[in-house]
Amino acid sequence: MKLELEQLNPYSLKEKIGLGSSAIWNQSISFDPSTYVKVEAPSGTGKTTLTHLLYRVRTDYTGSIRYDQIDIKNCDDDELAGLRTNKISIVFQDLRLFPDLSAKENIEIKRLLAPDYSSKELIDEMAEQLGVSSILEQKIRFCSYGEQQRIAIIRALMQPFEWIILDEPFSHLDQKNIHHSVQLIDAACKKRNAGMIIMGLNKDDHFQYQKELVL
Amino acid sequence: MLEQLLKKLIKNSAGQTKFVMALIGLSVAIVLILSAVQLQSNYFELLHSKNNQDSIANFLVVNKALTDQNVGASSLSESQLSDLKSQPFIESIGTLTSSRFKASIQSNSSLFPFYTDIAFESVPEEFIDVSTNNWHWDEHASYLPIIVPNQFLDFYNFQYSFSQNLPQLTPQVVKMVSFKVTLLGTGQQTSMNGRVVGFSNRISSMLVPQSFMDWANNKFAQASTKQQPSRIIIRTKDPGNPALSSYLKKEGLITDADKTRFSKYRQVVDLVVNISGITGLLMLSFALLIFSLFIQLTIASCKEEIALLILLGNAPKSLGKFLMKRFFSANIWIVIVGIVVVSIAQYALYSWLIDKQIILSPYISLYSIAAAFLLLLVIAWMNYSSIQKYIRLQQATK
Repeated sequence: MKLELEQLNPYSLKEKIGLGSSAIWNQSISFDPSTYVKVEAPSGTGKTTLTHLLYRVRTDYTGSIRYDQIDIKNCDDDELAGLRTNKISIVFQDLRLFPDLSAKENIEIKRLLAPDYSSKELIDEMAEQLGVSSILEQKIRFCSYGEQQRIAIIRALMQPFEWIILDEPFSHLDQKNIHHSVQLIDAACKKRNAGMIIMGLNKDDHFQYQKELVL
Repeated sequence: MLEQLLKKLIKNSAGQTKFVMALIGLSVAIVLILSAVQLQSNYFELLHSKNNQDSIANFLVVNKALTDQNVGASSLSESQLSDLKSQPFIESIGTLTSSRFKASIQSNSSLFPFYTDIAFESVPEEFIDVSTNNWHWDEHASYLPIIVPNQFLDFYNFQYSFSQNLPQLTPQVVKMVSFKVTLLGTGQQTSMNGRVVGFSNRISSMLVPQSFMDWANNKFAQASTKQQPSRIIIRTKDPGNPALSSYLKKEGLITDADKTRFSKYRQVVDLVVNISGITGLLMLSFALLIFSLFIQLTIASCKEEIALLILLGNAPKSLGKFLMKRFFSANIWIVIVGIVVVSIAQYALYSWLIDKQIILSPYISLYSIAAAFLLLLVIAWMNYSSIQKYIRLQQATK
């Protein structure tokens, strides 16, 4: 699925965008399928805004975002649900988990949207790899932020996708856990032949990026 | 599985009591509305079913009310007749033709002597309530068939026979007696045999076949000009229809007996049905309002969960379906309970009235069941639209 951004300009960043030169805002840019894209974004440049626009959490912008010619601004409820279930996965910076569900239930509620794609056992396997097996039955509100971050990553990997959007996914993880997470995500992308857009404050070499842009 | 997780997330945080109260209000409303429908259909059943149908009820003999002003001019005009015919509650009308010649009947037997002057009427055969094979006449007929009002026989048997020291007569005996009928007019006189062939409850006249009446009026009547009828018989679906009795009153017409007595019952039934129906509808609208508010409250109190569920890829429609299931299943039960309550009431009414010779169906009518389904549809539509509306609202605020 090809991703094209055209003259993207969010209302909330109107004044800032005029000042600096961004590789994304107000540009026409396209990403081929299966591309790994790193977006390096110093604080305040609209990293989370971009994440939200790409996932159509917000629509307060001018310009267009097209997945395979489909402008997501024009998607109806069902099309959007279809995209989010089968084509685009996400790890939010603020994670967005249900605090009153257990870690496992939080993953399960996503897996059950496409229940045939990933098996229930996969949850346990991934939790094992990321060292969160012990907290699976625990309510999310009682988990540490680092644990929650890993649960959010596992949740994002349950579904089929062609693009995965990651907004500072490793901010609260130690080197070892970052390494395991990177392996997991990389394998999941390879398996699906999917592309990735990962947001970060600084340069990093977690993945072999084909494109590195500064927001 | 997904449903269980959704259940965990979307709780009845608006409170079980409110929910139960909305349900109770809805139940009462449904019972009231169904009762109104059932009462109405019971009434129609009483009116039209074979068990209850009063054979005289659907036929009314109508004439002008005689007053000082219209004495001697009591005939009904063409325009009055056609106006009557055009009324929606009148199915057909038949005119009663009266004899315009002198006639008398006289016993053939000296054992049982009687003589009396008499007048006849005739009416189209379809309005006669006596079924007999002998109801025809032509000039070669051996006797003239006559239908006598039942009241005449009663009058004879229970009053006249005593005063004259005569024997009482059964209908069978009367039918066997042959007597002499003499017609007199325009300087001619004819006699023939006559026999009673039946007794009518419907028309209080001595009835003869129309063919005889035409022939005799033609031969013996003074004026050959066509006379307007002064009495007519009407056939109506529902003599209790208040529209009929008020129409008759307005036109200065009266009918024999109080066959329009149903009219009063009908008004009472109408009143009860209206009160019950209107109260039911009012309660229904309030209960629906409360229910809708309850749905709004539930969705508003879970708005973050709903927004996140949609963000994760749940279609608002499928969330709506889930909510619909939760709210609407209670409503199905309510309607079923409503049907059961009204069924029990109907059976009780049936058992109570059967002692009073009024036969109702022991089961509720199809109309009531149809009304129940209709109500269910209304509630479903209301639930669906408020769920969709408020889910959309949650998205918009995000």
